[in-house]
Amino acid sequence: MNLHERLTEALGRDAVKTQPEDLAVYAFDAYSQAAPPNAVVLPSSTQDVAAAVKISNACGEPVVPRGAGTGLCGGAVPAKGGVVISFARMNRLLALDVRNKRAHVQPGLINLELSEQIRSSGLFYAPDPSSQKVSTIGGNCATNAGGPHCLSYGTTVNHILGLEIVDERGEIFTTSLDDIGYDLTGTLVGSEGTLGIICAIDVRLVKLPESVRVWLAAFGDVEAASETVSAIIGAGIVPTALEIMDDVIVGAVEAAYGAGYPTDAGAVLLIEQAGFADDMDERESAIREIAHEHGAISWRAAKTQAECDLLWAGRKGAAGATGRYAPNYYIQDVCVPRSKLPTALHSVTQSARRHGLKVGNVFHAGDGNLHPLLMYDKRDRQQVAAVIGAGNEILQTCVDLGGTISGEHGIGYEKRDTLSLVFSTDDLATMAKMRDVFDPRRVLNPEKIFPAGIGCAEVKPPDAAYVISNR
Amino acid sequence: MLSQTAKADAAANRIVPKTVAKLQEAVREAHQQGEPLVIEGGNTLSGMGKAPTRAARTLCTSALRKIHAYSFADLTISVGAGITLRGLRSALAEHGQFIPLDAPCAQRATVGGTLAAGWLGPRRHLYGRPRDYVIGTQIVLADGTLAHAGGMVVKNVTGYDMSKLYIGSFGTLGILTSVNFKTLPAPQSARVFIAKLPENSRLRAINAIAQLNVPPAAALWVYGFRKAIDGEDGPDGRIFILHEGSAALIERASRDVRTALGRAGVPETQIIDTGALGAFDRILDACSATIGQRSITYRFSGNLDDAETRLRATYVATHQSGLAAESLLDLMNGDLYARISGKDAHAFCERIEALDDALHVQIPKAVVVACESPIRQVLNVWGSTPAALDRMRAVKATFDPAGTLNPGRFIGDI
Repeated sequence: MNLHERLTEALGRDAVKTQPEDLAVYAFDAYSQAAPPNAVVLPSSTQDVAAAVKISNACGEPVVPRGAGTGLCGGAVPAKGGVVISFARMNRLLALDVRNKRAHVQPGLINLELSEQIRSSGLFYAPDPSSQKVSTIGGNCATNAGGPHCLSYGTTVNHILGLEIVDERGEIFTTSLDDIGYDLTGTLVGSEGTLGIICAIDVRLVKLPESVRVWLAAFGDVEAASETVSAIIGAGIVPTALEIMDDVIVGAVEAAYGAGYPTDAGAVLLIEQAGFADDMDERESAIREIAHEHGAISWRAAKTQAECDLLWAGRKGAAGATGRYAPNYYIQDVCVPRSKLPTALHSVTQSARRHGLKVGNVFHAGDGNLHPLLMYDKRDRQQVAAVIGAGNEILQTCVDLGGTISGEHGIGYEKRDTLSLVFSTDDLATMAKMRDVFDPRRVLNPEKIFPAGIGCAEVKPPDAAYVISNR
Repeated sequence: MLSQTAKADAAANRIVPKTVAKLQEAVREAHQQGEPLVIEGGNTLSGMGKAPTRAARTLCTSALRKIHAYSFADLTISVGAGITLRGLRSALAEHGQFIPLDAPCAQRATVGGTLAAGWLGPRRHLYGRPRDYVIGTQIVLADGTLAHAGGMVVKNVTGYDMSKLYIGSFGTLGILTSVNFKTLPAPQSARVFIAKLPENSRLRAINAIAQLNVPPAAALWVYGFRKAIDGEDGPDGRIFILHEGSAALIERASRDVRTALGRAGVPETQIIDTGALGAFDRILDACSATIGQRSITYRFSGNLDDAETRLRATYVATHQSGLAAESLLDLMNGDLYARISGKDAHAFCERIEALDDALHVQIPKAVVVACESPIRQVLNVWGSTPAALDRMRAVKATFDPAGTLNPGRFIGDI
């Protein structure tokens, strides 16, 4: 029997896709480059996943796990073909333990749906990537996803208590933070499907805050807004979220959502503080004072839940709203020490100007996590070259400022050759030891994270131009 | 007391490198000669698990105690792994910051040792685990290679998060030489509440604490540890609560605590404002405090739901064995620390083996966290085998194939 027949026999006709038009859909995630798989399976259980991996092994095919395919770095693109394992049908909350604030979920469960399903318990799942309406908890685990509220709650890895994994040979094993021994859970989270396939997850839940306030401060330019953020953190205040949008983004958001952002400002700072009612007034006046000291031209406090929701809807839909400026955008994801934000933003503006590109900035300012959006038309080769040039400059600038090349989106296919901007050959070889233990044959999500050539004696230097994402 | 010769031997077998390069050199040399090394920080948690076997020389990181960089405006700090918890704490306090690293003997315990031991403290339900604050590490591997992971930014998904693997690995994969942390603004104030708990109100009080709207930073039920921990101990034990936050929040929390305890039938509550954190330190110290060679301390981890069952099982089994138990029950995380002792070392050794077996039948996840008696080498010090032990062994075999680092120190003789 061939691959298709064997998969169909094991998982059922309904769970296997083999037609070229179906496979074409799974060639993509939110990254520009695509490659079609040889088959797609839609397992219903961990046993199904294990069976699919065993069959793939026998047929010499690599396997690529896939959540919702919202990743921006090609992490779910089957770079070497093989079998895509989609978790679309493993999407349930399996158990909720309110007393111990934890839940057991399948990887295909959509991030926001978990919080919605458990709301009556007074708990929620804190990591909130902007894609949370569609992205899955399994995918979030694979990339160690961040989000606006990670400023105070921490990123995905801080909320994962244990995993059920199917390994490269199709064997099932579990990891748990409650167990003594090496923290395999923490190492597997963020490994982008290269160390094992996540088939079930124990997540930590957080109590819903007693009080939440959302404020919007407007500034003359994005540098003033980012200086305010540095000053808030520098004053020892860590709100729940600190998000900046510049005028380019505000214009797009207002046209798309009418979120009520002031369109005459150079930048807005969205601030959320969750906590106890007793602390709110003091916190509000402290932050407001810092904002005014740094040149805030207006300050608005959301008065109703609807107003809070609208301010956040604008932020979370910001990237998509830029479609009105250019057919495509390339979103960069870099992180710098928080006090370096104004310098980093200045460099971003300079790079975009030098390359003749329109740039918008929408980002997790409190974490120093920048997301410049470079707008372009992918049909124009000159513009594509400009985006590549500006993108590389931004990476280098952030590394030079003591930062790193990915804050929350991951390395995937896109950035693998730039990993050596941050890590030495010894550092990368140490990471590769984990790969040697968990996937010595490189059959799990091949061609991801590691620079082409790692595992050989030498690590390749980064390519001058890496491929770019566009949408 | 060690004789002069024994002291000289111990000194000769002890390497305390002053630089990372010297430490690398020492490891490389040991690796090449096939001589295993014991890895040590402040030697405060060496009573956890088993002592390393087959190692003649000790490599100590305590001289690597520099603060490499403290960007207080970024809320990040980079320190040598040999800095003590107290040293780190006072550097951070100068800028009104802290890192919730709750471990015993802060004046001697090193950052590297505390992380390597994977020690977890009572405030983690509120602030998260120590691993959540580590944003970068520098480690010397078994062959002397220096490797970095993470960086000095608070959000980072560039490559594997190798720091997670090193934290809690008991120095069996490499030697932490430097650690980067993100820090937190220190809470404005702290207040401790201590009350004697009559047995008929104990369960009601514990439940009331769990229901508090403002969760305490730490809450423990303490039985025994008479002189080691603040507060008067009665035949029924006492409750210890630490609240941290703004002055306004602490006032509210205080009203809630006193109402809750009052309703549960607790007659009096003592409040400590000045020295609240000192009182908390004494709780942490008690978790690993031994009574010479006649005691052993277990950590029985588990959910809050079965804490009472674990507690009862411990007392019943200990009583039957003719030994005595003291306990610290973490009411926010579910950990139970039990110190079991005999009237002398002989009586203790005679009875502990059978008790160790009996306890593990009822509480499989029982881990020994402190024991000076050599008897621990024959006890089930790590408790039940983790599901992924084979994989852990494979990780060890890849990182340290010759078994140079802390051989036999960790679970499954890793």
